[in-house]
Parts: sequence; structure tokens; C-alpha cells
Amino acid sequence: MKAATEGILMRRLLRLLRWRLWIQEKLQPTEWQVTLVWAAVAGFLGALTSIVFLTLTERVHDWYGSSHLGVVESMQRLPWWGCLLVPTLGGALAGLVLKWGQHLTRAQSSTDYMEAIVIGNGNVPVRGSLVKSTAALFSIASGGSIGREGPLVQLAAVVASSLGRWRKFSPPQLRLLVACGAAAGIASAYNAPIAGSFFVAEIILGTIAMESLGPLVVSAVSATLTMQVLTSAHVLYRVPTFQAVSVWEMPGYIALGLIVGVLAPMFLLSLKHAENFFVSLKLPLVLRLATGGLIVGAIAINVPEVAGNGYSVVVDIVNGRLLWVSILGIFACKWLATMASFGSGAPGGVFTPSLFMGAGAGLLFGTLLHHFFPGAAVDPRAFALVGMGAFLSAATHAPIMAVIMLFEMTLSYDIILPLLLCSVIAYYTSKSLKGSSLYSEVLKRKAATVPDPTLGEGRVADMMRPNPPLVFANAHFAEVARLFLNVRVNNLYVVDEAGKFLGVVSLHDIKPYLAEPDLAELVIARDILREDFPRVAPDQLLTEALAGFLGIVAERLPVVDHDGLLRGSLAKGDLLLALVERRKSPQGLPEMAPSATPRAASSEPSVSSAPFGSESKR
Amino acid sequence: MSLPTDFFAEAHAVVLDLEVGSGVAAVEALHQRLVTDNDAVRNAAQFLADVRARMLLAPVCLSAELALPHARTDAVSRMMVGIGRTAGPLAFDAAHPDVRFIILIGTPQSAVTEYLQAVAALSRFFRNSAARERLLAATDEAEFRAVFAGSPAALR
Repeated sequence: MKAATEGILMRRLLRLLRWRLWIQEKLQPTEWQVTLVWAAVAGFLGALTSIVFLTLTERVHDWYGSSHLGVVESMQRLPWWGCLLVPTLGGALAGLVLKWGQHLTRAQSSTDYMEAIVIGNGNVPVRGSLVKSTAALFSIASGGSIGREGPLVQLAAVVASSLGRWRKFSPPQLRLLVACGAAAGIASAYNAPIAGSFFVAEIILGTIAMESLGPLVVSAVSATLTMQVLTSAHVLYRVPTFQAVSVWEMPGYIALGLIVGVLAPMFLLSLKHAENFFVSLKLPLVLRLATGGLIVGAIAINVPEVAGNGYSVVVDIVNGRLLWVSILGIFACKWLATMASFGSGAPGGVFTPSLFMGAGAGLLFGTLLHHFFPGAAVDPRAFALVGMGAFLSAATHAPIMAVIMLFEMTLSYDIILPLLLCSVIAYYTSKSLKGSSLYSEVLKRKAATVPDPTLGEGRVADMMRPNPPLVFANAHFAEVARLFLNVRVNNLYVVDEAGKFLGVVSLHDIKPYLAEPDLAELVIARDILREDFPRVAPDQLLTEALAGFLGIVAERLPVVDHDGLLRGSLAKGDLLLALVERRKSPQGLPEMAPSATPRAASSEPSVSSAPFGSESKR
Repeated sequence: MSLPTDFFAEAHAVVLDLEVGSGVAAVEALHQRLVTDNDAVRNAAQFLADVRARMLLAPVCLSAELALPHARTDAVSRMMVGIGRTAGPLAFDAAHPDVRFIILIGTPQSAVTEYLQAVAALSRFFRNSAARERLLAATDEAEFRAVFAGSPAALR
């Protein structure tokens, strides 16, 4: 009776396994496809955090103005003392949050998501990120001349990092998921999924290989769709239709590329000087941020357009609602205000302020050109639009991303030719003046002190996944089948009682015999194991380990130490990701510009990061 | 690589009416016949030792009547099979007192698929009671082999 029941159970088990294999073969969800699913989840969650942050920013803004009006309009309605008080108070509150956060985050590692992706293990600390983002909430909502994209990206990245750690992702997978979070953050901030993907691929990962770009795109699209469904996300900059650019205008755009290519490094340098200046004041953190806010407020009494990230002013510029004389004044004041906010360490980004600088410079140059040679600059507003992209390109050293982002933000194809030309010229001009960005310099220094987790000097042990699914040599066919049913692997590792690796049982081998219940008790793992399956040692170089995957169809290789003991497994996906990441090793680190300008570490908390958030030197 | 359909019909050794007292003795007798004049056997002693080691690891009986002692071993260069029929019910091990057929299989280490194919084929073949009856009734080796030769589909 018992034997009959066991027989029925065995037949059912084998039937289940056959079904699973059938489904697996039909759907074939590979590791890459699973990664895409998690990338979509990271994008969705990243968009949700963006919505929460933006909502909170509006609520804080409502304390002194109205979120319906925007920061600039709210500032215009305030009395002179209000203009002084609000940014000062916002800076002080941001400083207090950071000061208080020091106690919470003292033992935590860097919160910089870029560092986590490029040289870290993908671990972005939650508490540190929350502290940083809360501080950013006050500095941004109170009118600081800083962008809100930094915290949006930071929050999306930390959510992705937490998701990956919960799913026990390997370091390369985790780094990729954090990169997906960052792409989602940018896509949410600018309603620009392609640019979000390319920002991370071009600037952070330094590659547009499909292994990484695919998940980034999925995550960015997921975030953008979420934003479109849950909010009134729309084209960020509505611009007029421009006439087709005549060939006579091209010299003007080339000149604009050269000008912006010089201006962008100057802008970055000024931010660095401002930062050094504030540090030299040796003020306590709270006071330093309050001082930054006070300067912005003082400028905003007469030029309220300097408040906030500059979005509304850019819209006015590209639509020709401001006179060039006004723009000249606003341009200079905005530059000063951004230096004050960024230099004091106000958390946030300078990406949107960079767009403002480009738009301002473009319109001023276009107007000047139009005045003397009307045919060389038919519509100066087009120069403003092209200037935005070119400035971004020169500042980030990422021309592809800059062109795509501008196109996505404006959906204007009229200016694509001059935009491409101008962005490339600005990029080369900027690069020739300043070969590497502040961020890449700091990152390279940090990278030199951190073991390289990628290929090259990396070892198998760095990337090994522990506890692989295994069976003992005398395990019956039924047990082997049951394990194959429970875990999604194609090869089970076979060990003896001492944990010594003997070989693998391949699902491919046993698949045709799953309909043979008689085999369940006769055949044992030792009968069907393959001893010649390739294996790697923990101390082997990853570059050598790559050769182990050649000639076999396997997603993982067993990691076996010199005593023959099974230590873990090495996933091909991890190795390929590391291969993709290789280009961002200290030697191959991509250039990063303002949007990633870090502020060097110190005993004080990481207050901000430049454009898309990084570390502060205070 | 798949087994030839006449693999069992062309078994290297067929021993009818084995008169032995235990499973181990039956295996030894069959092994003796299998390794004689067999150029595929590199090391006869090692082959036997590997079969015994396998028998110690787990039971090798496929059903009440059929025992499949086997080993994947470097002592043979290609897959080989020796088939024995006992004179009467044999207590192959404690759990199988009525074994009538013993099929000794030697498989090279690399021939995982062929091994599974052979075991599965035998499992299917011996489920056919008519075939079993004919094997028991066979009076000589030729008739015995003919039973395998007459069921190529079952043994594929």
C-alpha cells in the first residue's frame, strides 16, 4: 500500500517536473529576462519615490508661497525680508537635518549612488540617503538655486539597492539594479526615459552595451509610464515651432558650441571655487547652509528669477518672453546664486541650473548675432534651445545623452541638426580645456584605494555566489528530480559527505527520462554525474574564469577550492556584467562632469552632490 | 549518441540458468564471462570493484525480478552488457528475494546519456510480462537473444 502511494507520488512529481521543463522551454525566462523584470520593478518604485518627494517639496513650498505659482512667482510676492528669510531658513533646516543625520549615519558608508555603482558593491545606505534627501527637501523647496533631480535620483537608487539586497543579488547585478534606479530617477525628473537610460549608460557605466542598456531602458520606461499614469507629467519644455535652420546659420551655431564649450568648464570651476570658499569660512554646517540661503535670498529681492532650479525662467527664455537685457542680468545673478547654493553645500543637483546657463548663453549670443547679421541667427530662441543641449554636453561630457535629453524635453525636431553639431563642438572644446571632471578625479582616487570588483585584477571569490543547489552522490533520481523542480538551475552540483565536489547532474541529460518512474529508485546521482564539467577556483582571475564558460551551455560554474571542496558558484551573467563594467575601472573611468561633481569626503555628513547627487567635502 | 537497437540482442555475454547463492556471486559469475575476450575491458578487476562499490551505495534492483548491477568506470572503453538468467529465484539482496534476471552494465565515465538510455530501455522492456515470460521460457542462448531482437521498439 505504502509502495503504491509512493509510486503515485513519484509519477506526479516527475509529471510536475516535465511540465515545468515544458513551460521553461516555451517561455525560457533567462537570467537576463529576470533582470529586466526587476529593472521594471525598480523603475516603478523609483517613480513612486519621485512622486512622494515632489509632493513633499510642494507641501514645504506651500508654507511660504503656493506650489501652483512656482518658486519664482512665490518669491516675487514675498516682501524683501521674506526673500531673505525663506532661503536662509531652508538652508538652516537642511543643515540641521544633516547635522542630526550624522548621528544616524556615522557608521554607514558613502551614500553616493554613483560611487556604489562604479567602485562599490551596489549598496546605497538607506538612512544616509533619507537624511540627504530630507535635507534637500528644505533647500529646494525654500528656493535654493539648486535642482531637485539629485534627490530624485538618489531616492530611486536607494530603493533599487534595497530591492536588490532583499533579492540577494550578486554585486554586479546589484550595481546594475542601482544604475536602473538612477535611470528611473532621471526619467521621472525630466519625463525623459531615453536620456535617463543614456545618462547612466554614458556617464556612470561608460558603455552602451545591451547587457546594461537593456535593463536601464526598461527601468526608465517603467518609471516614465508610472509618472504619466499617476501624475500630470508632460513635455517639460513647450517650445515654439522653429523655421528650418538655413545653412547660413550654421557658422553661428559652431561659434555657440565653442563659446558654451568654454563657458561650461568655467561654470564648474566657479562652483568648485565657491565650495572651497565656503569651506575656508570654517562655519558650522547649519550656519554655512543658512549663509548660502541668505545670499540667494539677498539676490532674489531684486532678481527673484534666481530662486529655484531655473525651470520657469528657461521656459520664458525659449519662448521669447524675456528681453535680452533682463536675461543678461538674470544670467549673472543666477550664476552667483548657484555658486552660493552649491558652494554652501545645499543638497540638490545643478543639472537644471546648467540648462538655464545654456539657455541664457544661447539666447544672448543669438540676439547679438541677430543684431549684426540677421540672416545668421533668424530666431535667437532657437539658439537658446541649442545652447541648453550644448551646455549640458560640455558640462557632463556626454553629448549623446545631452542631445537625446533636449529632444525628449522639448520634442522639437526643428533644431536637431544645429543641436547635434553644437553639442559635439561644445563637448570637444570643454574636454580639451579640462580633460577630466571633478567627479571622475575623486572617483579615480577612491577607486585606487578600493579593490577592483570588476574583471582585470578581480578574483572569482569576489563574485562567487554561496550555497549553490547541490545533492549528495547517493541521492536517488527522485530526489534529484525534486531539487530540479524546486530550484531554477540546469545543473545540480554533486558532492560527497565531506563536501568534496564530484561533478554535476545535468537537467538536459535526465529530461528525456522523466517519464520513467522505475528509474526513480534505481538511478542515483553518482550514476549520471558528469565529472568533466568545468570548474573554477576561488583565487582564479575572473578573466581566466571566463574561459570556463567557453564550449559549454551553462549559466553557472562551480567554484571549487584547492582541496576539492565546493565553495559556491560563479554566474555567467555576473561575469558578463563585470566585463561590461570593466570600462569604468580606474583606468577606463568615463569622464564625468558637473552633474556628478562630488564634494569630497570629510567628517561632516555628505551634504550634497552636484548635479545628480554625490558627496560633499564638508 | 543513441544505443543501437540490437544492443541487448548482441550482448557480449549471455548466461542462462545461473546457479549462484547470492547477488554478489551472480555479479562475479557474469563479470567473469563479460570480461573474457573483451577488448573493451581495460581493467577487469577495477571494473568489478567499481560495480561492487556501486552496489554498496544504493540498491540496484529495478523490480522484483530484475537486478541491474552497473558502474560508470574508466575500466571499460565502451558500454557493454552481460545478461544472466538464474535457474530459480535468487535472493539478490534483502529486499529482493525473487530475482530472475541480472544485467551487468559497464559504462565509460563520459557515457551518461547512453547509460540512462539503456536503463530506461530495460525498464520499459521488462514491464512487458509477455517478454519476461518468453525470456524465462527460452531454452537456449539464441532463443533468449531473439526475444530482445524481437522488441526493437521497446529497447530503443
